[in-house]
Amino acid sequence: MKQSLHSATLDNGITVVGESLPDLQSVAVSFHAPGGSIHDPAGRCGLATVAGEMCLRGAGDRDSRSLIEALESAGVQWSQGVSSTHMSFSGAMVARQLPDVLPLYADVLRRPMLPADEVPAARQMVLQNLAGIEDDPAHRVIAALRRAHLPSPWGMPTEGISTQVEAIDADDVHRFVHRHLQPGGMIVAVAGRIDWNDFVSRIDTLLGDWQAAPPPEVVSGPRGDTVGHVPHDSQQTHIALAWSLPPYREDASHEATAALAILGGGPSSRLFTEVRERRGLCYSVSAGYQTSREFANAVCYSGTSAERAQETLDVMLAEIARLPGTITSDEMARVKARAKSGLIMQQESSAARAGAIARQWYHLGRLRTLADELARYDQLDRATVESWLAGQPPRDLTVVSLGREPLEVNRALPA
Amino acid sequence: MPFLHERLSNGLDVIAETSESAVSTSIGFFVATGSRDEHDAIWGTSHFLEHMVFKGTPDITGDDINRRFDAMGASVNAFTSEEDTVYYASVLPEQQDEAVDLLSRMMRPALRDADFETEKLVILEEIRMYDDQPPFGADDRCRAGFFGGHPLGRSVLGTIESIQALDVGAMRDYHQRRYAPGTMVLAASGAVDFQALVASAQRLCGEWAPMPSTERTVKPQPRAAARPGTERIVRPAASLDYAVWMVAAPSERDDDRHAARLLSILLGDSSGSRLYWGLIDTGEAEHASCHHQDYLDAGLFVTQLSCATDDVASLRERIADIYAAATRDITHDEFTRAQNKLASRVVLGGERPRRRLFEVGLDWSHSRTYRSVADNLRHVETVSLDDVRRVLAAWPLDGAAAAVVAGPGEAG
Repeated sequence: MKQSLHSATLDNGITVVGESLPDLQSVAVSFHAPGGSIHDPAGRCGLATVAGEMCLRGAGDRDSRSLIEALESAGVQWSQGVSSTHMSFSGAMVARQLPDVLPLYADVLRRPMLPADEVPAARQMVLQNLAGIEDDPAHRVIAALRRAHLPSPWGMPTEGISTQVEAIDADDVHRFVHRHLQPGGMIVAVAGRIDWNDFVSRIDTLLGDWQAAPPPEVVSGPRGDTVGHVPHDSQQTHIALAWSLPPYREDASHEATAALAILGGGPSSRLFTEVRERRGLCYSVSAGYQTSREFANAVCYSGTSAERAQETLDVMLAEIARLPGTITSDEMARVKARAKSGLIMQQESSAARAGAIARQWYHLGRLRTLADELARYDQLDRATVESWLAGQPPRDLTVVSLGREPLEVNRALPA
Repeated sequence: MPFLHERLSNGLDVIAETSESAVSTSIGFFVATGSRDEHDAIWGTSHFLEHMVFKGTPDITGDDINRRFDAMGASVNAFTSEEDTVYYASVLPEQQDEAVDLLSRMMRPALRDADFETEKLVILEEIRMYDDQPPFGADDRCRAGFFGGHPLGRSVLGTIESIQALDVGAMRDYHQRRYAPGTMVLAASGAVDFQALVASAQRLCGEWAPMPSTERTVKPQPRAAARPGTERIVRPAASLDYAVWMVAAPSERDDDRHAARLLSILLGDSSGSRLYWGLIDTGEAEHASCHHQDYLDAGLFVTQLSCATDDVASLRERIADIYAAATRDITHDEFTRAQNKLASRVVLGGERPRRRLFEVGLDWSHSRTYRSVADNLRHVETVSLDDVRRVLAAWPLDGAAAAVVAGPGEAG
């Protein structure tokens, strides 16, 4: 398969990464500014999210409505989002629209109007979202788990905390945007039917003379309790478990994520087989990997009837404890097949590829070709994964439940 | 993208839309059966059967199925709706034969008693899961309120009681009747070797016995809610109110469905629509949307709203005002924007073999019709503003609606 990956760095620190997928009609572009929720100041949890929303409420010489209408007239499937580390603006479109659309994004990044009279509506929008999350038990248990497992500000909820969002005003938004929506550390990613040189030159024209400020420092604070329960009047009890793993930028993350996939990554995984297929304890059970540049952890989740929750937790813990020393060659082969096929199929989506190369650059400071990625999986085998697991077995678990009654948790994994 | 079709002697249709540039192959069985084909004694069977299909055949265990799909690196799943049960896998092209082999064998499941009892527990957990989360069953209750005795009024999952009462014998009988070759389509999209696909189908499905008649009940659609008015579901732990209401709209056999879809985007898309600017941008509602849902013989405009309990009555009035204003003042600009938006979705969606599998498979299953991406684009581009106005007049959004509000309070 022919693949062409590109990267370029502008003088002000913006990195531009691209992948040409000439068989596609579409192009996807995304702008990732280093303004995520880890920069929310004390007492203003949710400020990055409110600020991200405000950036679309008018930019350049277009007010809120004209801006969105300009994007949608061009058929752009746009989105805006804030993670713990980034504030991102993305769009996928038919390739010929790109030259007309890029200046709109440049306005959003460099010339947001941030109208003070729209701050109450943006704040209210974020509060509505928080009220909706109150009714989503699976989301809540994972949020509680992150808060317990990760040090602040990494574990703090990106979507905000209602009482703190209510206090956010126009000055907070201005300060945040001017400090954090800046070119130093920004990643611009493009994938699909592209002309790379033309793209870089357009980005340079639009963003090249934007002056960078020094990156802000982030100070880590305390984490929460290792065992927690959130009372909620629901039929099901939701269970979430975490333990620390190497972040994506470390080579060992490869072994760690393979082991995690064997535990809970597909229908033939240990958790799915033992918790759902064998015992019928739940509808959903899974294990996944969450990583930032600094921290990473496993997240296991299941939701089940209150009276069956204790057994579900016990079986999950037993499967986690059983993993080291028991991996079979067949399991390894399946995990590799799934990962490789996922990597190859990603080539059919410009949006997926733009996101993937932006993430790679953020974590690694370089791009891996598909051939490299596949070759890494070829080198992975049962022995390398077992050897990693022997040194780093799952331990020091954080366990959070949400439901009517707390569960009995023995964090010392059964032998 | 060439389209290919072959019919086996027992009536099973094998179709494919092939693409030279695709790097994956998507394969699916589309079974024309769903909750509308059930009655009280077998309520929930279509969806339960979809789960049981993954529990194995006389020669293959459920664990074997999971392991074989994972060994192929397949992305595999299934879904059941009111009218369809669909099983699908996306694989790399070299795995086509293996994926077709496994999916085909699965269509003749063992339906073992012990598996049935274990999987019943999983289905009950699935029902409880949806019952615990928004919109807390309001959508199913609303559809029941709109359709009344029409077969589309039945929820897909069934209820705790209907699932507990289900019997494996009745499921075996249902499978025998509904999974007949004439009721099924084997479809593929992407990098497909069609000759190999037909050869596999011949070998694996060629012996399936045809059924004399597999026609389903199709009734004329109700033009208004069978039970108009607002029903309330009380959820003391809920934080917001979740309102849903439904009025009649064009069916999928009605040429006006394209205009209906454009109208719903213009009025109620998740961004840039009239509901978005009127209720979301202002921060007054957590969610406000309108979409067009079509069935073989019926269609719905579905409006969904979530907001604070105290605001639900006034915001429902606000939406009614927005709908009323639309009968007078849809502009050419906003119509063109909705059209561009939909056209872009058609083109971008057309790049994904998985997405095309669903479109091509369901089109063929429902009407033995193939529509290319270019055909779909033409349908979007030939709709006029007058068509949208005509549809709005013929299918009034302020018509007699079935409505349900789920939330913490007693009165809504």
